[in-house]
Amino acid sequence: MEEKLLDFIRDEFLEDPELEIDADTRLISAGIIDSFSLVSLQSYIEREFGKRIPAPRITAESFDTVRQMVQIIQQF
Amino acid sequence: MAFPEVLRRKYQDILQQIRQSGLHKQERIIHDKQGARIAVEYPFGSAGKELINMCSNNYLGLSSHPQVIKAAHQALDHRGYGLSSVRFICGTQDIHKELESHLSDFLGTEDSILFSSCFDANAAVFETLLDESAIMISDRLVHASIIDGMRLSRAAHDTYKHSDMQHLRQKLELHKDKETKIIITDGVFSMDGDIAPLAEIVELAEEYQALVFVDDSHATGFIGAKGRGSHEHCQVMGKIDLISTTFGKALGGASGGCISGRKELIDLLRQRARPYLFSNTLAPIITMTTLKVLDILAGSTQARDSLERKAAWWRQALIQAGFIVVAGESPIVPVMLYNAKLTQLFADELYKKKVFAVGFFFPVVPQAQARIRTQVSAAHSEEDLLFARDAFIEVAQKHDILGKTKAELLNMQV
Repeated sequence: MEEKLLDFIRDEFLEDPELEIDADTRLISAGIIDSFSLVSLQSYIEREFGKRIPAPRITAESFDTVRQMVQIIQQF
Repeated sequence: MAFPEVLRRKYQDILQQIRQSGLHKQERIIHDKQGARIAVEYPFGSAGKELINMCSNNYLGLSSHPQVIKAAHQALDHRGYGLSSVRFICGTQDIHKELESHLSDFLGTEDSILFSSCFDANAAVFETLLDESAIMISDRLVHASIIDGMRLSRAAHDTYKHSDMQHLRQKLELHKDKETKIIITDGVFSMDGDIAPLAEIVELAEEYQALVFVDDSHATGFIGAKGRGSHEHCQVMGKIDLISTTFGKALGGASGGCISGRKELIDLLRQRARPYLFSNTLAPIITMTTLKVLDILAGSTQARDSLERKAAWWRQALIQAGFIVVAGESPIVPVMLYNAKLTQLFADELYKKKVFAVGFFFPVVPQAQARIRTQVSAAHSEEDLLFARDAFIEVAQKHDILGKTKAELLNMQV
């Protein structure tokens, strides 16, 4: 799941192909993903993993790293 | 005690953090009218000096133009200084209606509504016009005022990669079941100076039945053969549903802005837009002077033609010297240094050589995308631009920057 999320984020958000990210890279607080783009993560998670995460659970704090995202996805 | 010590310390700590992270901004004090050469005091308390100004939005040189100043004096005599009212109580003069009508003619739209600033216009539009059934799909580099405006709306939001039409199509496909879809972009992007591909955006909007919103603040008055804006440049006049723009840049540079577009949308903004209903009317002096500015621009393309020639020369001069410049056709010419510390140093040294240009780095632009943003004005003389070019080259040679790649610039130790 981590790898799939990372691949999606690289493809969807990284403007700089040289930038390396891993499961602990801070994404929103470091400006790699802006909070308006979280809806595309939400729909990717629904399509790929069949989990609908309610919008209030997807915040700049709770979705800052891929590791955090995986923890939340696993609760559903 | 209205301001307890514990709170004072809390705010002092926040300010201290801003300073420590190198993000503290200090204002430059200008002892002059706005123009190509200005007397600047910086840092505060230092002796002022005359600089070539390469960082203003005074694209057409109208901010201190004699005809504009004369029109402003006449406005004071004819319609007074203030109106002490919002528009719908006793703040609408004949000149407000006249300006709205002239703006619609100039931009080629159905109707227009004035706001105290374009920031207010952008803060009003999405909250007023969109409900939960809508999706806002915005370019990732839109201006901060649009971002704040979208935050106020109940509509859902998504983004597409900067000017990436394939990605925009994916997003329109993803959200095609939404009742209202709106594509949101700047006409000219303020940090990169590139023009949005509006012809392709309009084509996608027609295919997916989406509205199109364009913030043309860095375009109105000078982009397009008659200066009507990026929609004229891209040959889609009449096809943009909502245009927001400012009077605070090329159109005299005081303040104020508008939304211009489909009649029903403008009518609804007039009824419900909170920054319109609860904020003062546009001052008569700005309203009447902006009318004069539109009159000047409708009568002659001389200023925008001159700006176009000067901007093309400046862009080419920097490229020939060996700088990396973001491709584009606007008078915003960003010089890419990528390296934040190098950018700060470069701007400081330009300042010492009497050239005023500002460095931008994260979080204003993405990480590793630091740059010196330069802006050409019709007010610049050839001598001004030659002087500025020589200063850029001298500073660059001192630090051995010319001809370097992005990776080499990023790795430079400053």
